[in-house]
Amino acid sequence: MKVSTDWLLQLVDLKCSVEELVELLPLRTIGTKEVTDRFIELDMKGYNRADLLSMRGVALEVAAITDSQLYTSEVYAQNLGDLPKLKVEVEDDQLTPLYCLAKIEGLKVGPSDPEWVTKLTDCGVRTVNTVADVTNLMMLEYGQPMHAFDAQTVTDETIIVRLAHQGEELETLDGKKRHLEPTDLLIADPSKPVGLAGVMGGKNSEITDQTTTILLEAAIFDPKALRKTGSRLGLTSEASKRFQHGLTKTRLLQALDAAIKMYQQLGGKLTALSIVGDTTDEIKKVELSLTKTNNLIGVTLSPEQVQQYLEKLHFELEHLDQDRFLVHVPYFRLDIEIEEDLIEEVARMYGYEKIPAKELPGQAPAAIDQKKFGVITDLKHKLVKAGLTEVQTYPYFSTAILTNFGWDKHPEALVKLANPISAETEYLRQNGWQNLIEVVDKNMRQGYEDIAVFEINKVYSPPAEEHYTLAVALMNGSDNPVAELYQILRGLNLDLTENKRAVNDFEAGFLHPNRALFYDYKGKQVGGVAEVHPRILDKFGIGKRVAIAEIDLRPFV
Amino acid sequence: MEEKIAQIEKEYLSKIAEASTLEALDGLFLALLGRSGVITALPAGFRDLEAEELKRVGPAFNQTKKVLEKAIEERRQQVREAIYAKLADETLDLEAPIKERKGHMHPLTLFEQEIVKLFSKIGFQQFAAPQIDTDYYNFEVLNIPQGHPARDLWDTLYIDDKNPKPENGKLLMRTHTSNAQVRIMEEHKAPVRMMVLDRCFRYENLDARHEHTFDQFELVYVDRGLSMATLQYLSEYFLKSVLGEDTEVRMRPKYYPFVEPGVGIDGTCIFCKGSGCKVCGGLGWLELGGAGMIHPQVLKNGGIDPEEYQGIAWGPGLERILMLKHGIQDLRLFRNGDLKFLEQFR
Repeated sequence: MKVSTDWLLQLVDLKCSVEELVELLPLRTIGTKEVTDRFIELDMKGYNRADLLSMRGVALEVAAITDSQLYTSEVYAQNLGDLPKLKVEVEDDQLTPLYCLAKIEGLKVGPSDPEWVTKLTDCGVRTVNTVADVTNLMMLEYGQPMHAFDAQTVTDETIIVRLAHQGEELETLDGKKRHLEPTDLLIADPSKPVGLAGVMGGKNSEITDQTTTILLEAAIFDPKALRKTGSRLGLTSEASKRFQHGLTKTRLLQALDAAIKMYQQLGGKLTALSIVGDTTDEIKKVELSLTKTNNLIGVTLSPEQVQQYLEKLHFELEHLDQDRFLVHVPYFRLDIEIEEDLIEEVARMYGYEKIPAKELPGQAPAAIDQKKFGVITDLKHKLVKAGLTEVQTYPYFSTAILTNFGWDKHPEALVKLANPISAETEYLRQNGWQNLIEVVDKNMRQGYEDIAVFEINKVYSPPAEEHYTLAVALMNGSDNPVAELYQILRGLNLDLTENKRAVNDFEAGFLHPNRALFYDYKGKQVGGVAEVHPRILDKFGIGKRVAIAEIDLRPFV
Repeated sequence: MEEKIAQIEKEYLSKIAEASTLEALDGLFLALLGRSGVITALPAGFRDLEAEELKRVGPAFNQTKKVLEKAIEERRQQVREAIYAKLADETLDLEAPIKERKGHMHPLTLFEQEIVKLFSKIGFQQFAAPQIDTDYYNFEVLNIPQGHPARDLWDTLYIDDKNPKPENGKLLMRTHTSNAQVRIMEEHKAPVRMMVLDRCFRYENLDARHEHTFDQFELVYVDRGLSMATLQYLSEYFLKSVLGEDTEVRMRPKYYPFVEPGVGIDGTCIFCKGSGCKVCGGLGWLELGGAGMIHPQVLKNGGIDPEEYQGIAWGPGLERILMLKHGIQDLRLFRNGDLKFLEQFR
């Protein structure tokens, strides 16, 4: 959310400087992404404070943390009058708890007033024209997205909110034809869809320069349904963000009322209005214990302090007894559900940074078996002592490895990702040593003439098996590096038994036909040491002999 | 000119056929196509040719170049195959001395060993959770149901699962070590002091500041009487030890669905010690980790009574702290096997 500084100062009689506010925001409320002389951008990614997606919500929060007064009152004066109704049919009130539609006539579409344009621009929204800008300004001020349809294009001026039929299509405002699914919530007239609810309007009902009468929509839709449609079509917008975070009926009516007033200022006339659904927000009540609050924060606050902090944030408190309050949650705080949520409110108003450190209470629990972690650490120490350098590589097989080792012909042997970032991250590695061939190559190109590296990390096999292996690669400039690598491995004292079986047909594809020695541990084959077949090395452009080893660490950890 | 080209082709084709080592072929390649190779030098003479002649010479030149390149490559392959065939005569000889080398531990391992030592001292023990995990342990039990806007915080890599088990949700590459939280509570009775150090994975395009593979460290601490003040103690204990006794540590509100209250951990900038500089963007503070009091629902999901016990989940960004400490500019250096980089650490 980009918060226009000028606009904020019109809503709050700020007691401190803007600079002080910018310093305070991350300590009391939320981190900032970018601050300029025009706006303060709040870091809302994944955040649950729906109320901070509106200038009014931000103003309330800012007033609370800076001890400032609001210029505007929070009281909503509904003055929509006694008007004829429009035909609106809501198919499912779970998917659409509230749907409001206002008909406004006598409008003239044109460029917006510079003051509006500045507000929009500061908040990172482009100006379109007077009619569209009103809906965007109200979205920014109240957090309630709105949409205006050209009334002339809506058959019988009748709106039906329903799920799409199989095979239905809609050209959205961006000019793209969308194939709809039966899970997509639609705004339709009796003959056709005119918009994707909460996602994007239809091209067929777009406001044009000739538009004089609009149907203004303000509604609340099921966030999950919208999220599903939005992510399938790859459509996210300022509006969809707000729908998904959650909206309140009170703010919706405030926004609708204010929008109508703005259209009236532009010469429009409200001639019909429909409100379908319940218009009152549920006020949640949550119990709060002072003892629990102090215990969880680790400080000692008085009941008066707790009450004062919460009241600044517009919570209302009733004393239940000496220790407990019944806290009425303001309608706009959708994120508050449980006692711990309230404790967080108290803690941040007090100031997280003032909480002192206290030593760990209680006794350390009894020791559990940590052998497997120790084994890997010891092994790494031994390898480093033997002169090897530890590397870490990605858990994937690169495309070079897939083709040079012929994995592209056996993809079923590898764990595959459903949504790889690129072809380089499509398959998980099945062994450790092949990635080390790339490490050898990379460092030879940098001029290294002696390379001794190892890695201990996980390898994977279908369907979802994973285990640690030790992989080693040695390029020592000699024509028989296996000998030295064998001696290094012997020095690790892993209690391995040598198994003098021959290289099998599969291994012959990438190992020296004679220079391979396999290892057993307690009767089971766990790995081996071998020279890599030069045919493979030639594909990487490695002109020297390379020995590798790999040990499955499952029996050891 | 055409004759000259034909002459070169004939002469070198026979030389290539006679070459029996890769080195000889490399030499021939240079003699033909190197900076002053005979083929490379030819076009300089084309300028003096008549247009008519040029029409014939151009194609002939290209043809010859191609023929010679192909001949070298084919001969190279033949020589290689001859070398490969000789491998059958080589035997497994395992006698050799071990060279003197200076080994190096990976900087992440060094840091992780330091951390394990530090937290073992105050009773924390290591715990391992799978890297390929279910949606259930990675998201559901942590208050991040399907369709929750907070899922945007984790760009997730999913496994192409042939036989999905719907009760656990999709298989995925774990996005954080927090997939261990509920497993720890299921496997060990409270109180617990555990630490998880391992790889995590995200759908992230690589650049100097973004990695799709990274290490996380997380403490999971469940006991009676834990508070945000305990959490502050853990942050100070860690950051003062790792970044120096003069480091100041503060908490900030931060949202994670599986903790409540949620905490961001800041340390004073290690470069300017809090006065404000380029690295910390003039703030004097660096964001170094995330933490919080484990959400009562997550404790319940792990079979722990939140009325009796509190939990702390706490984790700094490992690579970030290492980069700050050692002035490392590029995150990718940790995993590209570059020995020049790795040899700086001991």
